[in-house]
Amino acid sequence: MPEIDPTEHEIADLSPKINQIEDVEELEAILELEEEGEDRAAVKTVIESRIETLEEEEEEIDPETVDLTELTIADIANMVRDIDDVDILEDLLDREEMGDDRKGAKKQIENRIDSLEGDGDGEATEVEYVPPEEKYPDLDHPTADKQYVEGVAGETYRDMWVYCETQQGNLLDVSKEMLGKARELMDEYNSDGDGDGAYGGDEDGNPEEVVAVVIGSDVEEMAEEAIAYGADRVVYHDDDRLDRFRHNPYTEIYAHMCRDLEADWRDYHEPRYNLFPATNNGRDLSALVQGELDSGLASDCSDLYIESAMISNPAKTGTPGESKKFDRVLHMPRPDFSGFEYSTILCIDKPHRDFHPQGASVIPGTFDLPEPDASREGELVEHDLDLPDEWFQVDVVDFDQLDDGVDLTGNDVIVALGRGIGSEPTEGIELGLDLVNQFEEADLGLSRGVITASYQFGGHVEQYVTLERQIGESGQVVEPDVYIAAGISGAIQHKVGMEESDTIIAINSDPEADIRDFSDYFIEGDLFEVLPKLVDAVETGEFAEAVQEVSDD
Amino acid sequence: MRIAVLTKGVPDFREGKVSFDEDGHLERGKTPTVMNPNDKQALRAALQTKVRHGGEVSLMSMGPPGYKEVLQEGMRDVYADDLYLFSDREMGAADTWATAMTLATGIEHLDEEPDLIFAGFKTADGETGHTGPQTNWCFHINEELSDRPLITHVIAMDVDEEAGTVRAKRLVEGDVSEIETIEADLPAFIVTDGEFEPSYRTASQRLTYKDLRAETTQRADEIDLEEDVTVWNHEDLNLDPDFIGLDGSPTIVSGVDPIPKAPSEREAQPVDPSDPEGMGDVLDELAPYAEAD
Repeated sequence: MPEIDPTEHEIADLSPKINQIEDVEELEAILELEEEGEDRAAVKTVIESRIETLEEEEEEIDPETVDLTELTIADIANMVRDIDDVDILEDLLDREEMGDDRKGAKKQIENRIDSLEGDGDGEATEVEYVPPEEKYPDLDHPTADKQYVEGVAGETYRDMWVYCETQQGNLLDVSKEMLGKARELMDEYNSDGDGDGAYGGDEDGNPEEVVAVVIGSDVEEMAEEAIAYGADRVVYHDDDRLDRFRHNPYTEIYAHMCRDLEADWRDYHEPRYNLFPATNNGRDLSALVQGELDSGLASDCSDLYIESAMISNPAKTGTPGESKKFDRVLHMPRPDFSGFEYSTILCIDKPHRDFHPQGASVIPGTFDLPEPDASREGELVEHDLDLPDEWFQVDVVDFDQLDDGVDLTGNDVIVALGRGIGSEPTEGIELGLDLVNQFEEADLGLSRGVITASYQFGGHVEQYVTLERQIGESGQVVEPDVYIAAGISGAIQHKVGMEESDTIIAINSDPEADIRDFSDYFIEGDLFEVLPKLVDAVETGEFAEAVQEVSDD
Repeated sequence: MRIAVLTKGVPDFREGKVSFDEDGHLERGKTPTVMNPNDKQALRAALQTKVRHGGEVSLMSMGPPGYKEVLQEGMRDVYADDLYLFSDREMGAADTWATAMTLATGIEHLDEEPDLIFAGFKTADGETGHTGPQTNWCFHINEELSDRPLITHVIAMDVDEEAGTVRAKRLVEGDVSEIETIEADLPAFIVTDGEFEPSYRTASQRLTYKDLRAETTQRADEIDLEEDVTVWNHEDLNLDPDFIGLDGSPTIVSGVDPIPKAPSEREAQPVDPSDPEGMGDVLDELAPYAEAD
């Protein structure tokens, strides 16, 4: 039985997991499960392409004869790692220069040569510290003095901290999801198992904690709740002025918690890991806190795991051509390049400058929502800090919840409108509603663009323009029999909300609109002309006449 | 009103432009570089401010010399009075924190401190959404610079010049979505949301907008990229190479895997709205769900 049952996962969180599996037989077993289960074509492609990649890797490449132009830079990097003969490497370098002459490829080969010709014992060389003013005497203001740089090295770091975002008196689901994942990661981390992520606790063998952070007004109850979801300890800060998220005080408070050596429960410099939700506010906070702590982070992660990493990047080892092993590294895979690739990001110390905590923000819904365990025990710590008035330079003068109440699922037909209605927004909504009214079970949906645009709507249609009708990643996900997308360009965020519809009919005046790639019918035309035709046609049951009428003008 | 706008060049991810090698990795060399689409919203917010209150808009970026064309694109497609590029081998392969330090130092080197700095939310390649906020945090940390209120995810904004304040609407996500109205003093740092909408309420604003658009398009067409873009390297900015670019970056990319393109994409049947046959096919799909009379 393979470790992963693919039918229990969405494709988005499945791909990174699949791509970590090295065993072809296991992949084949997973493939079989998928075929017997949900049999999703996209999932099968992911598994099959992984199998293919592994099988290709297994094929022996003879460095002395291989045609370098057929290898990617990554292939070359893998190949040279196993070559210990400098002559062969020099020959490869010549052949690359004669061939594609790729800078990246040559760099890989040169690095390997450097490492073989260097001391070659795999141990990191001690890198001597040279003060910036000596190293760069021509620069009169070394950046190190700019206060951006914390400039510590070899400090102690412990624990996985989780920022638990709240909204309207509740922990967000993503906060609970992160607590569940953090619990799982740190249980493994503290264990003596033989998994890659098992370290038996910290460097001295003591277990490390999951520390939840809750900031806001009247948050003690939520702080307690965080324990039930997996925290060993919750540090919280309560202040009326923190009722709504504000960048400056939230950042100052979180960073102060991270460095608060006066707190008697801890004696380490800063957290080892910091997790944040990848929401609008959580992502901002993650960037600011990590910046304040002079460290780095990966945003919008779709998985997290801890293991050791061999790093040969000279920016991190300090010595070109040398590889150095870093332990307890948080691996942060994330979809990148507009969703075309997965990158795995690592946050790694460099000589004479620590990059800790290692930070990540996590896409909501990535990890399972854990069941709360009311019997779990943990410590509540109220954080003590005076908040100066100048931290509150930004006033929240008003806020509105975009309430939900309309359920668009379960309809035969959804008529969805996008920014194509922009020239006559009121008429656009009217036309959409006209078409909706032609069907037994239908409703009106909107793209995010319509809701956030500042269109002026006539009073009678205004009630329809609400966030509860939004379809897409941050709105509703619908799968009607027929989805009519009028004036919607088809951003990926919209696509995820409707791509499972049986039939998709797009109406768009731009023949290159993205939505064309995931429509069954693409009516190239102005929705203000096409929608009335459809209304007539559905009403009368035929098209000929309607077409005749319109072609008169 | 002194305005600075930050932008980045990104691969053009549109169908037909973007190129992948056979392993599914992006081929940067074969994919054209364009201005990050979200940054155009930031530039539109800057133009709205200029139309209403006058002033100068400086568009700036950090990147290789080829990014001059990205700046030119911003000038042509939206607006800019002048262009700045922070460009240097030492700045290459920077992550968001090293980029933020470079950008903040570049802004610090302008003759006049901007009243408003704009950045877009998320680039189409890195997609972190960190650089804007982190750049502003550099001003916060640096005691010699004014501390700027940060307002992110802005979908609409107004400046009150007399009061020296900015009022903005911003999006908050969570288990429910909210819109906040925010007020803060100038100078400020604004990160626009992808859904930002500029608005021109009066006839005279719309006229000024039209004039400025015509003027900037012409300027962009006539620009000499070698002469007219101010380029600063790390020495001009007094930036220590150890703290910028790859060397100054806390994070590295350890591996890149292509996301296999799902074969679930559909083959759309193109329909001309005046073609009875094609429209008839569409009607056949809809008819079964029509309301009975």
